[in-house]
Amino acid sequence: MQAELQNPSGAAIHTKLTGTTTPAGRSGKWGYLLLHLILIVVGITALIPFIWMVATSLKGSTEVLSATPTFWPKEWRWANYVEAFEQVPFARFYLNTIIVTLARVVGQIFFSALAAYAFARLRFPGRNILFLAILAVMMVPGQVTLIPNYVLLKSLGWLDSYQGLIIPSLFSAFGTFLLRQYFMTLPQDLIDAAVIDGCNPIQTFWHIALPLARSVLVAFGVLVTLWSWNDFLWPLIITNSTNMQMLSVGIAYFQGQFISNFAVMMAAATLSTLPMVIVFVLAQRYLIEGITMSGLKL
Amino acid sequence: MMGLRRNPMALREALWGYAMIAPLVIGFGIFFYLALAASLGISLTRWDILTPPEWVGLNNYIQLFNDKVFWQTLWNTTRYTLLSVPLGLIVSLALALALNTRIRFRNIYRLIFFLPVLTMPVAISVVWKWIYNPDFGILNQFLSIFGAGRIRWVSDVNWAMISLVIMAIWMGTGYGMVIFLAGLQNIPREFYESAQVDGANGLQQLRFVTLPLLTPTIFFNMLTSMISAFQVFDIIYTMTKGGPLNSTRSLVYNIYDDGFHFFRMGTASATAWILFIIILVITLVQLRVQKRWVHYV
Repeated sequence: MQAELQNPSGAAIHTKLTGTTTPAGRSGKWGYLLLHLILIVVGITALIPFIWMVATSLKGSTEVLSATPTFWPKEWRWANYVEAFEQVPFARFYLNTIIVTLARVVGQIFFSALAAYAFARLRFPGRNILFLAILAVMMVPGQVTLIPNYVLLKSLGWLDSYQGLIIPSLFSAFGTFLLRQYFMTLPQDLIDAAVIDGCNPIQTFWHIALPLARSVLVAFGVLVTLWSWNDFLWPLIITNSTNMQMLSVGIAYFQGQFISNFAVMMAAATLSTLPMVIVFVLAQRYLIEGITMSGLKL
Repeated sequence: MMGLRRNPMALREALWGYAMIAPLVIGFGIFFYLALAASLGISLTRWDILTPPEWVGLNNYIQLFNDKVFWQTLWNTTRYTLLSVPLGLIVSLALALALNTRIRFRNIYRLIFFLPVLTMPVAISVVWKWIYNPDFGILNQFLSIFGAGRIRWVSDVNWAMISLVIMAIWMGTGYGMVIFLAGLQNIPREFYESAQVDGANGLQQLRFVTLPLLTPTIFFNMLTSMISAFQVFDIIYTMTKGGPLNSTRSLVYNIYDDGFHFFRMGTASATAWILFIIILVITLVQLRVQKRWVHYV
């Protein structure tokens, strides 16, 4: 097997085989249809909770609780979406989530890339030990540092604040690792040329390395966005006023309060999921690239 | 260090290096290393945050190991992992294999299977609660077509954990699938071609080419999904709050409950350290065992 991989002398066989006999092709048309059937059933299972969420978000309050439940709304009640904003400070939750997520994404990308470049490209005593110390962070579950960090923020007076939500989450060991791997692949000539032009390391980093890493940065950024948007435990413990809550905690809180108006809850749930679906549709390639990198290079 | 003092260029480079890693190192120094040490210290005290901590040595750990609820929590978390991880792996691998062919609409299928990954667990829990509703939930309605009785899902001691596992598989499959697809695409075509020359049919190619060469990806997916399964929290908080009768209480739910409801910071920290050690042991054992079944090309 190994020999065949290294020596592609099977070029003739290659041309003969491609096209006709793929693993699926041989079992024929019925196998192909069966495969589609299975995929469609799984696809419907994957979609039903979404469809149901959206459908319910448009129902009237009596229809939601009726003894003979309907799947599609009898009449479409868009007012539920307006009420989601009126009954709960939904706009505020949205704003908080956007502010916190933007800050975390920018911070994680910037601090990770900055350190990753130094670890990959600059020589200084203690570099390897410090890098290992950063990698070790990935080994420890986040819950271990939960309580001391809560206590620290409490003593700083940062509970229930943007600083509290943002600052402890500005650093990513995974991102540093990922970007270091990328910066190590940059050709040395490129960096030498910048140095000859009189760039200091941070200028080389900013003008040469960072623009080249654009697609890795976007992939990492999309992963951080997804994580931050849905983050739950940390905002749950450090925020308590309604004004500081992120969508995840706000929804959990109002789930208990507004159970009577279930359709409005569903409208809120739909609205909080929608941005990530949009991000995914727009940045699908990058997100999949990011997950792939996390899966194969670790 | 001597070299640096004599060579101003090298010294400058080193200083730039330290400056560039400084924010990250300081950040992790405070929010990780300092916190890690503090967490170990707190786990050896009795502390409610309001009054000064009292040193109790290993007492928190001893009390946990004598506590029946703690053992149940440990078993719940293990059971959740043992149910959700293998099933999730099989489903995501099967989907990836199906989509790795030249089947039509594969991009649409991939998008659909990935959608559950994007959802906020808290928001989608609201939906699942109603799917699982014993009286008007769609799951019981669907099962009644086949003559199944009324299952009380999340409020039934015997079904609550299974309900969470189903939900977790629904949410996690897309992620595993994407990683498997990447792994599948990394298998060189030549391997299939030579297998076909040897007369291997589709099933044999799967058995002797695809699966062996995919073992590194299977290993990675298994390890990471076990680690995150042991940290399950969000869906427990929103779906069951650990009930009924503690049947879905997980280790992280205990940390949250002890720490932020009962203000038993010592007990919560001790639980966190036990979780850490369990995850460490799982990782080390897996890394050792993988040598026997993972093939690196």
